[in-house]
Amino acid sequence: MGLVDRLRKRALVRSLLRVARGVALVAIITAVCYSIHLNAVATSWVFLITIVLQSLDSGFWESAAVSVFATASLDYFFTEPLLSLNVENPLDAVNLSTLLVVSLVITRIQSRSRAEALKARLQRDTMEALYKVGQDLLAVPPEGIAGRTILEPFLSEFHLSAVCLFHSASLECHTAGKSNGDLEAKTRAAYIAGEDAAYPDLRILVRCLRAGGPVKGAIGFEGLANPELAAPPLAAFASAAIERAEAFQSATTAAAHAQTETLRSAILDGLAHEFKTPLATILTAAGGLRATGSMQPEQIELAEMIEEEAARLGDLTSRLMRLARLDREELKPRIEPVDAAELIEMSMRRYSKIWPDRRIRFRKLGDTSEVRVDPELIGLAVSQLLENACLYSRPESAVILQLTPEGESVAITVWSDAPPIPKGEREHIFQRFYRGAAASRVAGGSGLGLYIARKIALAHGGDLALLDATPGMAAGVSFRLTIPAASREAALGA
Amino acid sequence: MALERSKLLVVDDEPALRRALRTSLAASGFSVSEARSGEEALAALDRAPVDIVLLDINMPGMSGVEACRRIRELSAQIGIIMVTVRDSEDDKVHALEAGADDFIAKPYHLRELVARLRAMLRRMTAKQCKPQSVLQAGALEIDIQRRLVTKGGEEIHLSPKEFDLLAYLVEHQGSPVMHTRLLQAVWGPEFGGEVEYLRSYIKTLRKKLETDPAHPEYLLTEPWVGYRFRNPDE
Repeated sequence: MGLVDRLRKRALVRSLLRVARGVALVAIITAVCYSIHLNAVATSWVFLITIVLQSLDSGFWESAAVSVFATASLDYFFTEPLLSLNVENPLDAVNLSTLLVVSLVITRIQSRSRAEALKARLQRDTMEALYKVGQDLLAVPPEGIAGRTILEPFLSEFHLSAVCLFHSASLECHTAGKSNGDLEAKTRAAYIAGEDAAYPDLRILVRCLRAGGPVKGAIGFEGLANPELAAPPLAAFASAAIERAEAFQSATTAAAHAQTETLRSAILDGLAHEFKTPLATILTAAGGLRATGSMQPEQIELAEMIEEEAARLGDLTSRLMRLARLDREELKPRIEPVDAAELIEMSMRRYSKIWPDRRIRFRKLGDTSEVRVDPELIGLAVSQLLENACLYSRPESAVILQLTPEGESVAITVWSDAPPIPKGEREHIFQRFYRGAAASRVAGGSGLGLYIARKIALAHGGDLALLDATPGMAAGVSFRLTIPAASREAALGA
Repeated sequence: MALERSKLLVVDDEPALRRALRTSLAASGFSVSEARSGEEALAALDRAPVDIVLLDINMPGMSGVEACRRIRELSAQIGIIMVTVRDSEDDKVHALEAGADDFIAKPYHLRELVARLRAMLRRMTAKQCKPQSVLQAGALEIDIQRRLVTKGGEEIHLSPKEFDLLAYLVEHQGSPVMHTRLLQAVWGPEFGGEVEYLRSYIKTLRKKLETDPAHPEYLLTEPWVGYRFRNPDE
């Protein structure tokens, strides 16, 4: 026999016992009143008191049974003809029906108010328990949420025999307490079916956990006393706990990611820094060789080669350090009015020297080129675009810079005949440390250049974008840097 | 003071670099002594004064900037060139504030270093002789006393502020001068943050003095630090 059957039988026996007690009391009162020849009206009052007392601890049907028995006793022993259930006098009939109706009404009212009180107590208890569970859950540190820890408050506050939580993201199933009905399997099954499930015989209830979207897991309760009242808020608690655990997880991952990137840039900086002193030594020694003045022309040429290459390495490390620093630090542009055309021409002159086999051209459209920017930073961004254009284009090809006023901003476009950037790479090229397939075939480059150039543009309230196709320009790669024009600032100030 | 006998103190914690500098600078005509740290440099200067100190900014123990400050306290005449490693403008500003005359970023070409050393020695010699009132720099002739500037014999009209700015830079020719120092010297002690003034005055000066203002040969920008007057004849 199951637990439920046993419980039901026990309740039935108690109910019968209460009825028997009432009946016995009525029988005793009948015997006493009959022996002292009390009249029907007086006896009916005594019965009424008995029934009221009976209804204090009994349900409606129990009290109703006692009421019917008392009415029958009154009819049999106190109403003419005596010792018969017949009624002759209509007044007696009224008396009997009054007793029955009044006792039934009292019983009804009494049992209803008792039920209300019971419900209210249950609600209060449930609320208190829920409050405690909520408090306990908040006290659990975020890293402990996914585990069994959060189930303990459920178990202790609601006196469950077992509780089971299935989390879909980790596919883990945690159970606290001891189940008699294989709670774990039923919880998983409900998750797979995507529907809540109830097994009243086993006193098991499983609810799927949804947080305004897909099912994130399921929670199974075994032995929950008042499932209608407690199950929904408990399931909501479990959902919230899972959400919190997932949020913590993703925040931790994001923080670790950011830290790794910063570390990478710090290592780059450190390496470049370490290179500088040995490079300075090589440069000084090579310069010193020539200064001794006792060398053959070939020796001088070789010493010059050492010097040039060491200097090139030095420039590369300087640039790397600069990028690494700009990567780590928050950019604070020192804004001043600058002629964008001058900035471009300066970069152009430098790169024309470094890349003599690229035909670098500059086209200025419109007559205003005044911008309000940090000249060092924007100069760096333009140089970076120019460097990329030279690096990825063919020898003897053209690299075209174009300056176009566009209302409140100025656009600087850098075009080269470099092979088009594949679709899959286009959205990644501005990411930190991203190196495209073409980039990995070309020597040099840190994976920071475009990222920093865009960071510079954004810090000025502008943008840097890779263009799909530039009207009037042949196929190739164009980047467009937009920066605020001086007129915009003037307009804002006015 | 003949160049051949110019005494140089190289302060760097890296032995290989010190050795390379000693040999190379000796071959370029300097008399070179060495120190491994700021403390050693101060002790060495106490024993035997030198003309110029080449001071590394990053050293264990006393920092280069601190060493520079102490050396400057010791002597106002001594020339100090700070060797910066990081590509950081803050380092340069700190060096200048501590009393350095110039800075050079590592790694540098030996010939660039030698040129800087010689220019500094020439300036020091010039200062010790009579104050020059007329300066010849390329096609420019600047007469400080008469407040007159000519380019290729033709007089160039400068406003009083423009002339003061140019005169101050010329007075410190070859050395980088910080924005704040320029502003305070030319505009007054209550100035210091108005870098935009400088930008626009330098722009005008370049238009008047330079052959190609976008590619200046006299008035050079020291990024984020200040300006430097370069004499092409040096």
